[in-house]
Amino acid sequence: MKEWIIETRGLGKRYKGRYAVSNLNLQIAKGEIYGFLGPNGAGKTTTIRMLLGLIKPSGGSIRIFGRPLEKDRLSILRKVGSLVEYPSNYGHLTAVQNLEAIRRIIGVPASRIDEVLAIVGLTKEAKRPVKGYSLGMKQRLGIASALLGNPELLILDEPTNGLDPSGILEIRELIKEMPRQYGITVLISSHLLSEVEQMASVVGIIRRGELVFQDTINSLRTQSQSAVTLRVSEREDALGVLASRGIEAAIGAGDSTLSLGSAGDAAVALAVKELVQSGHAVYRVEEDRKTLEKLFLEIVGEDGSL
Amino acid sequence: MIVQAIRSDLLKINGKGLWFLTFLAPVGLIAMQGLNYGLRYDYMIKAYAGDPWGGLLDNILMFVPIALLMGITILSSMLANVEHHTSAWKQLLALPISRYAVFGSKFAIVALLLAVASIVLALGSFGLGLLLGFDAADFPVTDAIKLAAYPYLASWTLLTPVLWMCVTYRNQSLPITIGIVAALISVFPLSEWVPTNWPLASYKAENGETFVLAGLIIGLVILLPAAVHFNRKDVN
Repeated sequence: MKEWIIETRGLGKRYKGRYAVSNLNLQIAKGEIYGFLGPNGAGKTTTIRMLLGLIKPSGGSIRIFGRPLEKDRLSILRKVGSLVEYPSNYGHLTAVQNLEAIRRIIGVPASRIDEVLAIVGLTKEAKRPVKGYSLGMKQRLGIASALLGNPELLILDEPTNGLDPSGILEIRELIKEMPRQYGITVLISSHLLSEVEQMASVVGIIRRGELVFQDTINSLRTQSQSAVTLRVSEREDALGVLASRGIEAAIGAGDSTLSLGSAGDAAVALAVKELVQSGHAVYRVEEDRKTLEKLFLEIVGEDGSL
Repeated sequence: MIVQAIRSDLLKINGKGLWFLTFLAPVGLIAMQGLNYGLRYDYMIKAYAGDPWGGLLDNILMFVPIALLMGITILSSMLANVEHHTSAWKQLLALPISRYAVFGSKFAIVALLLAVASIVLALGSFGLGLLLGFDAADFPVTDAIKLAAYPYLASWTLLTPVLWMCVTYRNQSLPITIGIVAALISVFPLSEWVPTNWPLASYKAENGETFVLAGLIIGLVILLPAAVHFNRKDVN
């Protein structure tokens, strides 16, 4: 059995009778970058707050590093770095002072401040008050704060929210390095699949408080593979012809279409040949490429378009 | 653990004007009496001819309760706002530190600032007396210490609930309203059962120590459920 860094069982949170999160079973293995996806309001932030002990679950259990969060909150948090939603730095203090305020609580050596500032590339701006920072710089400072305590687990809630493309790229590169260089497990939430796709190894998709998908990004890719459709005359007859030749096909979604699924080139060629030889007209042979994004929208349902 | 939280809080209040207010209030009270004595020096000296130091302390005391209660309200609100302002609570409380330590530290900071203000007030009254030409040898040290300590400790009954409200609610209008109303009421001598009167009564009344003890004990008793609530509440 794998060693789970985060494991939740039946986790739920109820606000005034409505479940914001219900029956959530997350499993995050060591050294992974876990993309936690879902449309706005699906319960990502609520889940992350429960993982950090900021809010109390209405039901279910959370185990982090194999220990129950409820009992061992402080010793678990010692090994967790977090950034919850938009950054919350003290604007009147400089970056160094902001980190010092946290350092005094977690008690790491003072040299660690320069180290994390170097990691996020803020060394030059470190002596300026944070209120003059751009959003991207504040976000990087937030990540520096999260890294300050040499965490084994990094929990980042929408770390690229509101950033411009180059800022997003920067943060992504930064996060990708974490497991590789420091052996840190990362949980990163986002409402954009495209953002997580390029760094996450495993994704969990949450919809209306329920986990609707949890597997590797590769398995998601497999599901999104292309399907070949044929448009033919008299498709019922054509289906019979194909079936009698042992070619798998199904009635397609469109008018007079047949779906061949993710058939290979040879199978498609054979199907066309058989149909033509038995007197069917083949109007179109189309490849319907489902993008990951489309699949994601399908999984999250109509909420995704909001 | 609470020491670490206090050290962190001391850093965070830098440049937020809390220390400035802490010194402004007692210096202001002393300056006001400087004006009072300066404008009608002969009258005041004659009125308190037998006990010039006692007269001065009594005059200063008049405005101590209102200043204390205003100070409690403003300092608590400003301190809580350091965290409210950028929703820093979620970052702070996700650190490996007990919430009791976090809340205890907030209380300790306000208590510390008020204590500093009270000490400055006692030192300032000594300075003003010297300026007015009173004999330093006659300075009633015990009374000056009482002036600094008694109203301060008696005001803890209001310190803990006001601080708790400031920390709990993002919207500060409720605690500030309550604090200011309490400060205004403290000017009027109501029944001695009303806690807003305790800072004044602690120095003036014969059984002043009763009010000190009552204020202190009730303040600490309220601190318990406040801290328990803070420990359990959801942070959004």
